[in-house]
Parts: sequence; C-alpha cells; structure tokens
Amino acid sequence: MSSNGPPGPYDRVPESRVRKGSQTAAQTDTASMDRRGILRVGATAAMALGSVALGFGLRDRGSHKKTRALPTIKDHRADKPAGATDMAIVRGPDPAANVRRAVEALGGMGRFVRHGERVVIKPNIGWNRTPEQAANTNPDVVAEVVRLVVAAGAGKVWLTDASVNTPEQCFARSGIEKAAKAAGATVVRPDASAFREVNVSGKLLRTGDVLFPFVEADRVINVPIVKQHGLSLASMALKNWYGVLGGQRVKLHQNIHLSIIDLAAMVKPTLTILDATRILLANGPTGGSLADVKQMDTIAAGSDEVALDAFGATLLGLNPTDVGFIVEGMKAGLGTPQWQSLKTVELGG
Amino acid sequence: MRIFILIVLALVPPAFIGWMVRQGLRSPAPAVQPAGKARPSGAEADKTLLALFQGDLAGAKVKDKVGLYDEKGLFDYIDGAAPIFIQRHYRKLAAAEMASADGADMVCDVYDMAEPANAQSIFDAEKSATAKPVPDFPDAISGPMSFVFRAGRYYVKLTAFDAKAEAALPGLAKALKGKMK
Repeated sequence: MSSNGPPGPYDRVPESRVRKGSQTAAQTDTASMDRRGILRVGATAAMALGSVALGFGLRDRGSHKKTRALPTIKDHRADKPAGATDMAIVRGPDPAANVRRAVEALGGMGRFVRHGERVVIKPNIGWNRTPEQAANTNPDVVAEVVRLVVAAGAGKVWLTDASVNTPEQCFARSGIEKAAKAAGATVVRPDASAFREVNVSGKLLRTGDVLFPFVEADRVINVPIVKQHGLSLASMALKNWYGVLGGQRVKLHQNIHLSIIDLAAMVKPTLTILDATRILLANGPTGGSLADVKQMDTIAAGSDEVALDAFGATLLGLNPTDVGFIVEGMKAGLGTPQWQSLKTVELGG
Repeated sequence: MRIFILIVLALVPPAFIGWMVRQGLRSPAPAVQPAGKARPSGAEADKTLLALFQGDLAGAKVKDKVGLYDEKGLFDYIDGAAPIFIQRHYRKLAAAEMASADGADMVCDVYDMAEPANAQSIFDAEKSATAKPVPDFPDAISGPMSFVFRAGRYYVKLTAFDAKAEAALPGLAKALKGKMK
C-alpha cells in the first residue's frame, strides 16, 4: 500500500484500519502484533494442554505396569448354607470353650474349612506384651482356633502376623507362638523372605508386600483382639489386616480408614473370631498398664467383619457409626454395622 | 501483560508434569502436619537422650541396644499411637528392652517432647483413669505393670511383664529422673 494519500483500488487495507478509520502507524503495528501474539499464546496453551496429557500419561506409569503383572489375593469367603447363623456371641470364663461354642453355633469349622485345604490364621501379634496386657490376641483363643482347623482336616495350618515391635519378642511374649505350635500350626515369622509383592488394587494402596501364606492359602481366619486405638478409635477385625503387610507403617496411617478398607477388601477372610476375653480400653494400640484392661470373657464369631467390628465397638463404649473404617467398610460392601439385623446367636457362660 | 501470561503459560507445563509424576510416586499427604516449632539441635539432643541409658540405673541394664525413633519411625514402634505424640511436637523416642538387677524383663521408653509443656500435655492425655499418683514423685502415675512419669521435656513410660519387673520400676524411674536434672 502507498504511504501517502488515499489507498488505490489494489492496495490491501487492514480490516482494523477500515473499521476504526483513523489509526496511527504505531497502532497498526500493534494490531498486526496482536495476531502474532494470539498465535504465540495459542501455541503455548496447546503446549500446556499437551503437557497435561503427558502428565496424566506419566502418572503411576510404573506402578500400573507392576499392578498388571502381580498376583492378586483370592476371595477366601465360604458359601453360606441356607438358614445358617451369621454371628455368634459367647460369654464365659474359659476362652477356649467360648471359641468352640461360637464356631459350633455357626455350624462347625467344617462349614469354613474342607479336608486338605491350606489355612492361614491371623491373630494380632503386634506387640511386645503379655496376654494380660491385652495388646495381642489371647493365646488360648488362638490355640483353640488352630485345634479346630486341624480337626477339620486342613492340609496345612499357617499362623502369622507382621509384628510392629521386634517379632521374636512379640511371638514369644504374647504366648501365641508356643500355644499355636503345640496345637499344630506352622508359625511363620515376618522375616524379609516371608513377603510376596501382590496387587492390592485399593483406593489408596495399589501394591504391597504381603506375608506369603495369604497368597497361597485356600482359607483365611482372622483372630483379632478388641482394643482402643489412638488414631482409628478402635482396632478389631478390619484393622487387623495391617498385619499382613511389610514395609513402613507411616504410609498406612496417612488415611487410616481407607487403607484399612483397602486391605480388608483385598483379603476377604473365610471366618473371623473376635477376641474380647480381655479388651484394652485406653492407650491403644500399645497398652502396657493393666489399669487400661477390662476382662470381658467374650468371643464373637462370623463372616461379616463390619458387623463384628460394630459389635466390638460397643464393648469399647463407641457408637459404631462414629468409627470411620466401619462406615467405610459398609460403603465398600464388606458388611453391615447393624449386627442385630443378622441371624445372631448369643450364648451365656 | 502479554509477556506475563506467556511466562505463566511457559511455567505451568513443567510444574504440572512434576506435580503429576510426584503424585503418582508417593502416598497422600500426611494427616498430621509435622510440628513447625523450633526444636533442640538434633545431634546434641540425641546424645543427651541416649546418655540417659548409661551409667547406674538402679541395677537395670539395657539388654540389646537403645533404638531411636524419629517422626516416621515412631509408627514402626507404636503404630497408631504416634500421631498424638507428633501433634504435641514430639522430637524423638529412645526405647530399650532392659533387665532388672534380678534379671526380670522390662521396657523403657523415653520420649523427648522438645519442651516441658509438651511432655506435660502427653502425660495428661495418656493418664489412665484408674492409675494412681506416686507418693513423693510429682508428675508420676503407676498402674499394674506400668510406671509413667514426666520430667522436664521427657515423658517416660516403663512397662513390666511380671511381678519381679514391676517391683523394679520405681527404682529405675528414680534413677532416670535423677539423670534428667
């Protein structure tokens, strides 16, 4: 275009000039820069969007790869015969007799364990504490569970837990190792070689190192103790699955209720026998002082861990729906906190 | 303005990529924030803490070694009880299995709570309803198989496993307190 006088018929006139009519040369430069600027901004924005996509692509890339290749723990639950009792609560002074009566009320151990099956029993052996201090499952309760499983014809009976304190001390001081061995169990201590990496597929936990009997067993029996817990309010059946995992525990506690449910959903036990022979009412999960312990002489058994935990919560003076993992367990379809709505048998001493 | 927008847009992608990758490699943020308060210098405080287990302790001896636990490690020792210590600006725990003069086993846990007020706070929080105050031993309670006290910035929990060890706890407590002056 010519710089002087009105534009000729072939001069190209910028639209902006036409529209605005009286722009200066500087304004014209700005107008043409706007177009370049728009292109630059557009290109950078496209790069940003591409980066977002790349970020999503890179996220968890390694762990997803692993997850696909790792073994998954099977669902260990047994079919419920028509009309069978869901939950049994037994009170009496003899812990072993309470276990026997509770299992009988559910239809006997044969309902849960068949001849030749490999069974893993999971008590709480987390602490360097004696049975009287009520931080671990009562050894008499554990031994009776082992005897019942052996009598049902199990081909292999493992007993294990990933202790919090030094395993040698916990297994010995709790009295569980000695009692379980005498009853016929193979005790597996949580040495580094005892763990296998598996796919957890949880909301928080994707993979984890799990004690090998949980990978290999046909049936799993959970034998937790009822106790107060500083962070989750209570430690009972669902929380007991922390003890299948190796590695640093700090990660699990960052969202304790959801990580409890991730692990419970992974294991899905055949049977749970809740030990409330002695319960720890304060300063859990470690305890130590007998001033925090209450003798309850109670055993509850069944297949619904949420229901059993709801019952256990009442023993600790808690409202079950105030306990986060009970609510999350219900939401995840692991059971009902309305244990009274189940077919329940209660037997006195 | 345009330059500013360009700079922001240029910085967003690497920051976002970094954030996404990091999210994928770690677990969610801790539920309990670490204490922001200034603490005693680490190495010096550790030395002082470990020194409590040396010398005469009413005949009691460390059986193996004294374990030191920081905030992360505390979960590996006391599991879900850790947050109530961390919330109170806990610095470090020294823990040891000990044998009394007559060979009975007991456990000695000394929590360095960084400040006396923090030690008082955890002492009050963990006080069992049925535990009894100890005559001539301020800020101490004893329950069956247990002796708990606070001295300065330390909170101490002693645990016994039988009657012999239980009888040795007050002597060990007194000896430890003497070293905390």
